Amino acid sequence: MTIDITRRAILKAQAAGIAAAAAGIALPAQAQPVPGGVGTLDITWSKAPCRFCGTGCGVMVGVREGRVVATHGDMQAEVNRGLNCVKGYFLSKIMYGADRLTTPLMRKRGGVFDKDGDFEPVSWDEAFDLMAEKAKAVLEEKGPTALGMFGSGQWTIFEGYAATKLMRAGFRSNNLDPNARHCMASAAFAFMRTFGMDEPMGCYDDFEHADAFVLWGSNMAEMHPILWTRLADRRLGHEHVRVAVLSTFTHRSMDLADVPIVFKPGTDLAILNYVANHIIRTGRVDEDFVSKHAVFMKGAVDIGYGLRPEHELEVRASGAADAARMEPADFEAFKTLVSDYTLEKVSQLSGVEPDFLEELAELYADPSKKVMSLWTMGFNQHVRGVWANHMLYNLHLLTGKIAEPGNSPFSLTGQPSACGTAREVGTFAHRLPADLVVTNPEHREHAEEIWKLPHGLLPDKPGYHAVEQDRMLKDGKLNWYWIQVNNNLQAAPNSDHETWAGYRNPDNFIVVSDAYPTVTALAADLILPAAMWVEKEGAYGNAERRTHVWHQLVDAGGEARSDLWQMMEFSRRFTTDEVWPEEILARSPDHRGRTLFDVLFANGTVDRFPLSDLDPDYANQESRHFGFYVQKGLFEEYAAFGRGHGHDLADYDRYHEVRGLRWPVVDGKETLWRYREGFDPYVKPGEGVRFYGRPDGRAVILAVPYEPPAESPDEEFDFWLVTGRVLEHWHSGSMTMRVPELYRAFPGAQVFMNADDARRRGLNQGAEVRVISRRGEIRTRLETRGRNRMPRGVVFVPWFDASQLINKVTLDATDPISKQTDFKKCAVRIEAV
Amino acid sequence: MSEDRLHIVSSAVVLVRPGEAEAVARALAGLPLTEVAASAGNKIVVVLEGASRGEVGARLTTIALMDGVVGANMVFEHAESDGEDPG
Repeated sequence: MTIDITRRAILKAQAAGIAAAAAGIALPAQAQPVPGGVGTLDITWSKAPCRFCGTGCGVMVGVREGRVVATHGDMQAEVNRGLNCVKGYFLSKIMYGADRLTTPLMRKRGGVFDKDGDFEPVSWDEAFDLMAEKAKAVLEEKGPTALGMFGSGQWTIFEGYAATKLMRAGFRSNNLDPNARHCMASAAFAFMRTFGMDEPMGCYDDFEHADAFVLWGSNMAEMHPILWTRLADRRLGHEHVRVAVLSTFTHRSMDLADVPIVFKPGTDLAILNYVANHIIRTGRVDEDFVSKHAVFMKGAVDIGYGLRPEHELEVRASGAADAARMEPADFEAFKTLVSDYTLEKVSQLSGVEPDFLEELAELYADPSKKVMSLWTMGFNQHVRGVWANHMLYNLHLLTGKIAEPGNSPFSLTGQPSACGTAREVGTFAHRLPADLVVTNPEHREHAEEIWKLPHGLLPDKPGYHAVEQDRMLKDGKLNWYWIQVNNNLQAAPNSDHETWAGYRNPDNFIVVSDAYPTVTALAADLILPAAMWVEKEGAYGNAERRTHVWHQLVDAGGEARSDLWQMMEFSRRFTTDEVWPEEILARSPDHRGRTLFDVLFANGTVDRFPLSDLDPDYANQESRHFGFYVQKGLFEEYAAFGRGHGHDLADYDRYHEVRGLRWPVVDGKETLWRYREGFDPYVKPGEGVRFYGRPDGRAVILAVPYEPPAESPDEEFDFWLVTGRVLEHWHSGSMTMRVPELYRAFPGAQVFMNADDARRRGLNQGAEVRVISRRGEIRTRLETRGRNRMPRGVVFVPWFDASQLINKVTLDATDPISKQTDFKKCAVRIEAV
Repeated sequence: MSEDRLHIVSSAVVLVRPGEAEAVARALAGLPLTEVAASAGNKIVVVLEGASRGEVGARLTTIALMDGVVGANMVFEHAESDGEDPG
């Protein structure tokens, strides 16, 4: 290299010094500031949240000549304090894959649209013309229930909000669901059922206060590396701290575990009730806390598996019709139910050594230990996921270990804005913003007020959820479908029989907005090229309620436009006369003959901030196009739902100045711990703790039993299949598989299997095998030595690989309450090719 | 579009399991263009160099998955043109 040797030495010293400071290590020599360097490369740096996981790290994004050329951790971001994990380091590359979409593509034959034709480039006008024509035909013939949209926890807050307005108030359809249904629905439902409000009560500061960490179905070492670093710092820096990790196989997070627990799939429910039993039997219930702040209920049982109604398991499920029911109970009833879960029984059922179970139970029972529980997909992607979440809250409520530093049941999030967008904005089929629901007439009226829409406009029945959308597409009941920022053909369960069949049903018109030609896009009829991340002004909300806003830093290439632009522009194609019923229009003649754009986005609220409010140093494609500050207008209208109701957001402009703020933000102050006096402004002096999401101010402790998974191994299909992720790739790999270094690091999926199991079947390491279920199969390679060490009878396949669609194999069984798929438990057999 | 030819100087904090610091430090020193700059308790500061961000990032991925490593996160990065034309 030609860099000057002295300069190189200085740079290395500076690098070492800064890292040492970040690590809290003193270095003898002081790093000197280096003249020139970054400045000479003419890079402009701006803040943004990372595009990947729900941790929500702050990054600094370097732009030169209209391209993002570098990113690194933001020193001023509280979440990650200058650290950047492996995936975050590659952010500068994700927008520049060679096959980035730059023009709308429509399937045509002989110059006209044909579902069986090949993709040809078209203009936005032609694309929207066809979309509008198809939508109007479907509305005419079948009405709003035949229109649907599948959105995303990677939508910006503005995009989720625009979508919910367009679908519910524009087309009057509640068939809007996000891909977060696949990852966080169980967590969201459990929050609502336990506390009456969504989202964690603690925050990441809990990492620095806890005495014990318990990971349930979460491989933080690979999936939330920065949070894992904070946890590990706490554990390694304080001798008394303990870490327990529970999973159905041994993964990298177990390396740090003092209490490593591998349990038989599904038996986590029994373990949870055992711990509750242990707390009660050993007299460690915090009776004062429980008597003041909790109430006991029992849940409906035998609630089925969310399969198609004619499936024998559903027919047999006596409680399926009212799966969500909770009835008042008392402590004695709860105590009786959990008393069945003895150490001996649960050890037998779960396959876990009694000593480990007792150690785990003591972490919760010991009043002197502050406990932070952490979980993701092991709990949520579970046919009893809502129960699992709730049973975990039971432990924290019985012991009063909640809503204070270090005592924290913390639901981790996978996507960057499943919280901020999908949940908080309310893009689920039953939701409105700020935890309101479509089924409540007062909630609908409140939304109509804020949106300046006629009363009675909003539809009152929940729409189709994710798995149901696929079934309705296949059955021909859902006929017009817009997919944005997700890769559902790769992500959805039982995909050949349901998802693929639905998208290719000749009666259906499928539009996919994406940045890359994913398998989902390639299965569509029309592809719209989307701008991504810092190609647009955006906002995300991470797992700890931190809302983080960023500026547009570069332009998207070609004709690519943000999902926000797409929805707003598309809304111009419709008038209220075409899509609203006559009785509504008759009552509100002022709304007659106006475009949906007029009534949803140029409504005096969303369009009230002029272009002069924009920061002149940054571009803003959408605002320049529409003539007003779009993002600010949408945000401020949205914020009206939550301010004063426990979901308070600060003024929009403030978010551009800071590295995010944790809501509720009241009088300019963030809230770190909710429901606790002194931390939460909504809790009055003298109240101590109040779970103000519920009218009685009490959280629910729920008595529910162990119930088995939907499909267990048998003679024909003798393995459990668990699907999941790896460090190198994020979700379906649509971004990371296009980064050459990440692709090389883990180029293709493998099936991880126990070495003894492989030997007994005469299968060698690296052999090509088929993973087969009752629904489908894939071909992959066997891995017996890798980072995941499997117990007997369990295999693991990651789902990032578009060439190995493992979801052809999985089962579309869901939690009947949350409708979230169980991607962690079905039965397969493994055969040599 | 090919990446610029650069000289990257970068640093990372590697968190190791108790008792593994020496073994990990040895393994790190064996990687190309990688130096251990400091070590205290369970943390090792490494300086990484490379001809592209991708090269450095790939090495970080390798480090993150090494035996004995709990986590590896990038802190600092400095890039200079090395004066040659982009390849």
